[in-house]
Amino acid sequence: MFTNLSKLDLKDKPSLAEAGSPKLCMKALPGEGAERSCAYDGARVVLMPITDVAHLVHGPIACAGNSWDNRGARSSGSQLYRRGLTTDLLENDVIYGGELKLKEAILEIAAKHQPKAIFVYATCVSALIGDDMSKICAEAEAELPIPVIPVNAPGFLGDKNIGNRIAGEVLFERVIGTGDVSAEKIPLSINLIGEYNIAGDLWGILPDLKNLGITLQTAITGDARFDDLRLAHRACLNVLICSKSLTNLVRKMEIRYGIPFIEGSFYGIHDTSATLIAIAKALKDPDLLTRTQAYVQKREKETRAIIAQHKKRLENKQAILFTGGVKTWSMVSTLAELGINILAGGTQNSTPEDFQRMKELMDPTAQIIEDTSSAGFLKIIAEKKPDLIVAGGKTKYLAHKTRTPFLDINHGRKLPYAGYEGMVTFAESLTRTVFSPVWGYLRAEFPPVGG
Amino acid sequence: MMNARSYQGNPQKNSPALGATLAFLGVNGLLALLHGSQGCSSFIRLQLSRHFREPIPLNSTALLEDSAIFGGWEYLKKGIAVAADKYKPQIIGVMSTGLTETFGDDMVSALSSLRSERTDLLDLPVVLASTPDYIGSMQEGYQRTVESLLTTLAVNSEIEEVSGSLEAEGDGKARGQAESLPAVVLLPGCHLTPGDVDELKEIVSLFGFQAITIPDLSISLDGHAELEAAPLVQGGTLLEDFRRLAKCSACFSFGLSMEKAGEFLKRTYGISHTNFPSLTGLAATDSFILTLARLTGKPIPEKLLRQRARLLDTLVDFHDQLGKLRVAAALEMDLLYSLASCLAEVGAEITLALAASQAGIHRLSLPVPIEVGDLEALEEGAKASTLIIANSNGRQAADMLKKPHLRAGLPVFDRVGYPQKRWIGYEGTQQFLFDALNSQN
Repeated sequence: MFTNLSKLDLKDKPSLAEAGSPKLCMKALPGEGAERSCAYDGARVVLMPITDVAHLVHGPIACAGNSWDNRGARSSGSQLYRRGLTTDLLENDVIYGGELKLKEAILEIAAKHQPKAIFVYATCVSALIGDDMSKICAEAEAELPIPVIPVNAPGFLGDKNIGNRIAGEVLFERVIGTGDVSAEKIPLSINLIGEYNIAGDLWGILPDLKNLGITLQTAITGDARFDDLRLAHRACLNVLICSKSLTNLVRKMEIRYGIPFIEGSFYGIHDTSATLIAIAKALKDPDLLTRTQAYVQKREKETRAIIAQHKKRLENKQAILFTGGVKTWSMVSTLAELGINILAGGTQNSTPEDFQRMKELMDPTAQIIEDTSSAGFLKIIAEKKPDLIVAGGKTKYLAHKTRTPFLDINHGRKLPYAGYEGMVTFAESLTRTVFSPVWGYLRAEFPPVGG
Repeated sequence: MMNARSYQGNPQKNSPALGATLAFLGVNGLLALLHGSQGCSSFIRLQLSRHFREPIPLNSTALLEDSAIFGGWEYLKKGIAVAADKYKPQIIGVMSTGLTETFGDDMVSALSSLRSERTDLLDLPVVLASTPDYIGSMQEGYQRTVESLLTTLAVNSEIEEVSGSLEAEGDGKARGQAESLPAVVLLPGCHLTPGDVDELKEIVSLFGFQAITIPDLSISLDGHAELEAAPLVQGGTLLEDFRRLAKCSACFSFGLSMEKAGEFLKRTYGISHTNFPSLTGLAATDSFILTLARLTGKPIPEKLLRQRARLLDTLVDFHDQLGKLRVAAALEMDLLYSLASCLAEVGAEITLALAASQAGIHRLSLPVPIEVGDLEALEEGAKASTLIIANSNGRQAADMLKKPHLRAGLPVFDRVGYPQKRWIGYEGTQQFLFDALNSQN
């Protein structure tokens, strides 16, 4: 019943383990405190931003109850995706099976919430008790006018990356190209793969695309509507912006629909411009390329003028960077833009390739953080005494205990950091934390030494 | 109405393992180890972290596919050993999950097998709490964990001084004991915030008692800037405190869910035990204060009488507004009972009372029948109310119905200061009523 993992291109061709990257995707040791989450989480990260569908978690309360509506993916339309829906498997369901309850739940949700589709997520418990989710989804689908799509990524399959990839498979097999008979390409159109509209990131990029005359068919899956996703095969180009986790999806779209893909990032001035130019080149429209080159020059100049005041204050500050995926390397150049040096960098959920890219961009003296547990994190802060920490929300409050300025760049944040606009917001946020008056109070002795 | 559905829509339930984590976080030097996949612990850390704005030390045994086939017994042994070696905790607290309970890992035999291989770990206290995700909510997980803490640490620890007179339970004798043994055990339920627990300790100290509080979130999750950050619980009940339980003269448990733990101490040490289902409201606080006064034989401290007089004045001044409140509440049982009974007592109408789980539902009563329900049921049933009381996830219902929403319970992530708030005792009751009224604009 599970997606065959060997088909998921889990191993990217060249082994980079020997090239000095840490053992990134190795199994976590029990008890060591690596904070990596599970395959189910990885699948929900990719699929749950789809706004006008119902996301039903088939499992006990722990999987949905502790996590629903907790990511900052935003919607310009339907809010249905924010609803926490679960079959809430109870003791009797574990004994007698949860298939009947699942079927009923699907039908009830379809009637009450009128979704465009229902995604049904397997969990450790539903998989263990042997519920045949694919069969139930097919049965329910036969009775409903909407697709009912099983997502077989129970937590124990592995970490987030595996879940990301399975979600990509689900989109490829069950969503993309299933709606419209037309396969005609939409001129100058792209899909942004791996953009989840966290804190409205996507909305910071859209104006630039629009100004250049580029059509966004859909993001996968930030602020995405189900019907737009189904037409994703009509785009001329896939732009993969969360690095490797959805590579399998773009490769398969290239083969089936002839859509080429490029990689990019919209974090920071340099990467935003480079990505826009790469898009223009890949769309093979000479006029667009000329337009884009002039446009990015203008935007870079404007943006650098605005952030100059922040750069002046932040220059030569020492940072520790701790993140995952595309942000691993993209953040290095974003911080460099502000003149910030990176003392040490670490990552979770990134591929060796992401990691190598990060390493190449960093100063050769920068240290690589290998122990990604709280203990490892604290140790490196104590050693390096950085001026600021740039990391995900998970480590925010631990970082605060070390009395070090901190910026959250992952899904818990409230402000968009993508694109040129996002760079300004990012610089402002950094300045606010680094120069906040509170650090002084925390570091001061009380009562004062010597009376 | 609520049970007709086959799914939970916008659940108010949290997982029992989250409740277990919360209880463990009130024990000093403890490392919590969740026996499950990495997602289980990741979600709990995130949920508690955004509520308390604190780092949440919680490790997992990181189960993978092979454990789904062969079981997680070896993972648990390894997890305990690795956690002990790497973090050097004073105690390890283990909780199970739906995954490990479904394949039936025997945690007790895993621990004894590990101890026979690693004799250096013989003296490391390890508390095992069984918290399958498919039974109950946060409250049940917290309750089971407090019970496990007591049965493991209180009984296994050497009893330093056991006096025969401790068996006395009558008022007269209890009063006599209080003179010589001014220590009491407090067992706060998970409906009390770190601020509430702090207030509780203060009230008890006004009567001259020392208190042993289990678990003590008021000095671990109270959001204090620590001198040194560490990946273990800092603050909370000391391990030594569990060894001093025999010397206590009385036990008070708060929230019906804590009754069983209190009864255990009563049986084990022969001390008196009183359960207070609520500490919010005039009658509830009166009952607690009078019990303390009887136990000490001393008059009620002036400070508390003054607070009571202020509360009475508030009740008079705002009785009309309070009488107009029509309240729909969806909370974990002990908190639901505490807040709703307090509002009912002052003339507010309770229009809907939804508990997160079955626990205690037949033993506690409110002016309306208590039902088990999710926040979708709140959305459907709160139309006639003027106030919604629920955790932050109730925001979808409140937005849709355009009703004022007073945040309570867990998680509260879109209002600041909730973990520090005090809604118990006379002063806390007054504050709760202020907050309820202020939410009305």
